Amino acid sequence: MKLLHILNRSKRELPCVIAFGILLLALALRAPDFFDAQNLRDLLVNTAPTLIVALGMTIVILTGEIDISVGSLFAVCSVALGWLAKAGVPIFVLPLVALAIGAILGACNGWLVARVGMPSIIVTLATYIAWRDGLLWITQGAWVQNLPAGFQWFGFSQRGGETLIVLCAVILLVAFAVVLRHLSGGRAVYAVGCDREASRLAGIDPRSIVFGSFVLMGALTGLAALLNAVRFSTIPSNLGTGLELKAIAAVVVGGVSITGGRGTVIGALFGTALLGSSGTALVFAGINPFWEKAIQGAIILTAVFADAAVSRLQKHVHLDFSRAGSA
Amino acid sequence: MSTSTSPAPEAPEHPLPLHRRLFPNGEWALLVVLACECVVFGLVSDNFLTITNFFEIVRLSVELGLLALALTPIIITGGIDLSVGSALGLCAVVLGALWRDAHIPLWAASVLTLLVGCGCGLLNGALVGGLNLPSLIVTLGTYSLYRGIAEGLTRGIENYSGFGHKFLFFGQGYIAGVLPPQVLVLAVAALSTAWVLHRSAFGRTLYAIGFSPEGSRFAGIPVRRRLMLIYVASGFASSLAAVIYVAHVGQAKSDAGTGYELTAITAVVLGGASIFGGRGTVLGTILGLYALVVLQNGLRLGAMPAEFTGVLTGVLLLATVALHGVRRWRPQRRVHTEEPKEKEFHLKNWQVAVLSGVMLVCALIVAGSNWVLVRSIRQQLQHGAGGSSSAQTSTGRRLTIAMMPKAKGDPYFISCEKGAEEAARELGDNLIWDGPADLDPAKQNEVVEAWITRAVDAIAVSVENKQAISTVLRKARERGIRVLAWDADAEPDARDFFVNQATPQGIGYTLTDEAARILNGSGDFAIITASLTAANQNEWIKYIKERLQRYPKLKLVTIQPSEGDRDRAFAETQNVLKVYPKVKLIMAIAAPAVPGAAEAVKQSGRKDVKVTGLSLPNMCKPYIKDGTIESIVLWNTNDLGYLTVEAADALVRGRLKHGDHKFQAGRLGTIQVEGDQIMLGKPFVFNKSNIDQFDF
Repeated sequence: MKLLHILNRSKRELPCVIAFGILLLALALRAPDFFDAQNLRDLLVNTAPTLIVALGMTIVILTGEIDISVGSLFAVCSVALGWLAKAGVPIFVLPLVALAIGAILGACNGWLVARVGMPSIIVTLATYIAWRDGLLWITQGAWVQNLPAGFQWFGFSQRGGETLIVLCAVILLVAFAVVLRHLSGGRAVYAVGCDREASRLAGIDPRSIVFGSFVLMGALTGLAALLNAVRFSTIPSNLGTGLELKAIAAVVVGGVSITGGRGTVIGALFGTALLGSSGTALVFAGINPFWEKAIQGAIILTAVFADAAVSRLQKHVHLDFSRAGSA
Repeated sequence: MSTSTSPAPEAPEHPLPLHRRLFPNGEWALLVVLACECVVFGLVSDNFLTITNFFEIVRLSVELGLLALALTPIIITGGIDLSVGSALGLCAVVLGALWRDAHIPLWAASVLTLLVGCGCGLLNGALVGGLNLPSLIVTLGTYSLYRGIAEGLTRGIENYSGFGHKFLFFGQGYIAGVLPPQVLVLAVAALSTAWVLHRSAFGRTLYAIGFSPEGSRFAGIPVRRRLMLIYVASGFASSLAAVIYVAHVGQAKSDAGTGYELTAITAVVLGGASIFGGRGTVLGTILGLYALVVLQNGLRLGAMPAEFTGVLTGVLLLATVALHGVRRWRPQRRVHTEEPKEKEFHLKNWQVAVLSGVMLVCALIVAGSNWVLVRSIRQQLQHGAGGSSSAQTSTGRRLTIAMMPKAKGDPYFISCEKGAEEAARELGDNLIWDGPADLDPAKQNEVVEAWITRAVDAIAVSVENKQAISTVLRKARERGIRVLAWDADAEPDARDFFVNQATPQGIGYTLTDEAARILNGSGDFAIITASLTAANQNEWIKYIKERLQRYPKLKLVTIQPSEGDRDRAFAETQNVLKVYPKVKLIMAIAAPAVPGAAEAVKQSGRKDVKVTGLSLPNMCKPYIKDGTIESIVLWNTNDLGYLTVEAADALVRGRLKHGDHKFQAGRLGTIQVEGDQIMLGKPFVFNKSNIDQFDF
């Protein structure tokens, strides 16, 4: 019964988990080398920044909004951090600086969406264009080079730095999972996403929640930018192109409803894992990289389709769903 | 607009005044913006307010315009279609494949392409309308899917070109000397969309769906069928735009139309359409489109940085949305009528705050741009004729030389720019450096068009696609502008000289020889390329493969894309090292890919694997010093930029003529000229011993 209950509760994540399982199974049969420890660690380190951004995106989408400016924010934060590191800001202060820069940029989005009341897709479309082109204007495309010696891996060894990055992502994942499920702040996010008016009447301030979700999104993007930047010794100014689509796709594939109010960070984790490893999987399976985009598109469509199929099933079977949101 | 036939959703009791009927969503603001743009740009450049420039602007806007028109009804119903740009790319490729590979006549291929477009739309429509799935996610999926299919079909490499003149006339010619033919298509499309949306019962039902899909269903509107139909129409518009794009640019490649969807959506939203549905007009969309296109064109004619466009577009977008009033953004608020007065008042305060904030930002930006303008005008005044009359080519005059890279942000071209600026300073010439932000042949055409209108003295282009740009370069030559190709060549009759830094053959052969030297003539190696569609890289790979026949024991095991992204090159190299453990050499042939590959090799701890490739010395210096990168192949990019400007100056001033065998190029000394090619010299191999002598 317990198992059934868990299955029941996580039905939104199920299609993605199954798909991920099939992918792993196929790899185990066709290219067992994929499960080499070194490869798994590389995959973890490479996708950790995307996962952190996807966590933020989960919150934003749960409140029923969307943020398509994260890729541009990511680039702005990376370059700004590089400049600050070169200007002599000590390395142990950088994480705080990264969070702060990201939070400020996120607050711009949040203010326009939550306080002024503009549609988030338009606001973030505008900031997406403006930040990216503004950055190009200022840097003229130049990379940040000659970073201080202690910048790469925070001055630790490579192994240590990698562990730190993955650890960061894992701690954030667990924290978000707990907060969203068990704390009132997390529940408020779902409430706002399900029905804004009802949550207002229930004593939640929807605008603060939405504003907060954008600030959080920005802060996480800043942190992800830092964790990505420390893996290298230079910082290109064109980082993060397409990151917004990657994150949104991962979150939605993981079963988070685009209309808000439904989904979990565990789903986002599996979505990121599925889309993040599909590229590597193609190389290991010896499939031509030309088809990568087509396959990712097909994964997204299948996920949406599965979502629709599940909700249709839900209508017919009348199971007990503790967390059904508004349509 | 149609108050006489059916009541508007706001249900006015008496006919509205004309300006309310014409501009229900405050589109007049865009007219003001458009007028401001025209006045400012008209003052800055003499060539902005001309009939030729007018038609040029219209021509450039056709593909985008068709997509924006198709998006208008979709956004009015509260949906969105992100896949239009990808569908354009897929249709362009299908058109090329049908015509060239299946030997179908062009008109029939075009018709089939339109059918494919409808098919693309049908898939979106079936999922959104039929299965009631969120349009944002569905079209995000098909956005990836259509582009992926286009890349898969062409293997990324195929580039269909060489279409007949009659077909190209449709995209590049002029009716009666001034009117670009495709403008007629846009006009017909705009008028018919306007008629359907604003004059027919069908159009009214779309607004109804946008206000409330559920309500519309109860009112007897077949919502699903309506939705399906407008998505099919959007697919059709994408394929129509694809046919025009191919005729305009003269080539069909799988990256056609990248990023068009966002620009088109921006135009629609600027035009007053609400992203939540229920509001929007065709007139608004058209105005929004031209506010964007004129801004781009004007900044270009005024030789202001193109990145400015993005910043201004963002501000414009926010300002327009702010103007429409906060109350309307959330249709569901209408439902709650308990405390409307207080709420409205509260929000209006915010409205005022936002408006003043945005105005302040606008004012700052306008002030900033004025400053740039005044400075450039002053410069022009100081140096007499600002390049408007190319007839008086006296040696003392300050020339305006326009130079275009393939992509502005690319470090390779940035180092070229430095050399070009140095030469311009020495010669006392005016250098305009502008080009697309990413590899984009259509953008290159736009920039050259703007320069022709601006009547510069010489144009030097690093050509992304030969067929695409040659028509417009010929036009420049007809107008008496000297044309050079640099870095990558155009058609021989479209330019005076080609500044040849190294032939693709030279690069391919040198890279292969380097690989053979490092591997001692035998072993496996892998290539990390730019994008799979990059023309230059594909050309090099062709010659690398040709040269490999000389080294039978060298084996190329795989080619992986990096999309010009350092991080992607890093991840791909990690994969290659694991999947092909026998690989002893990574050859990265895009500037940002080499440091990415080197970092991956370094972090893997594989001391037996070496990296080589084509990149910039500064980017690779640390890796060359620690031995991860054995060597990189490149010419001196600084000198390339320098030589191009020197050659352009010499050409205009008559120091360099056809038939010359050499000319003096400043600090580079005597430069060889072979036929119509100006030779920079052989590609150079940078390694540990000489890397410190170079700084670019």
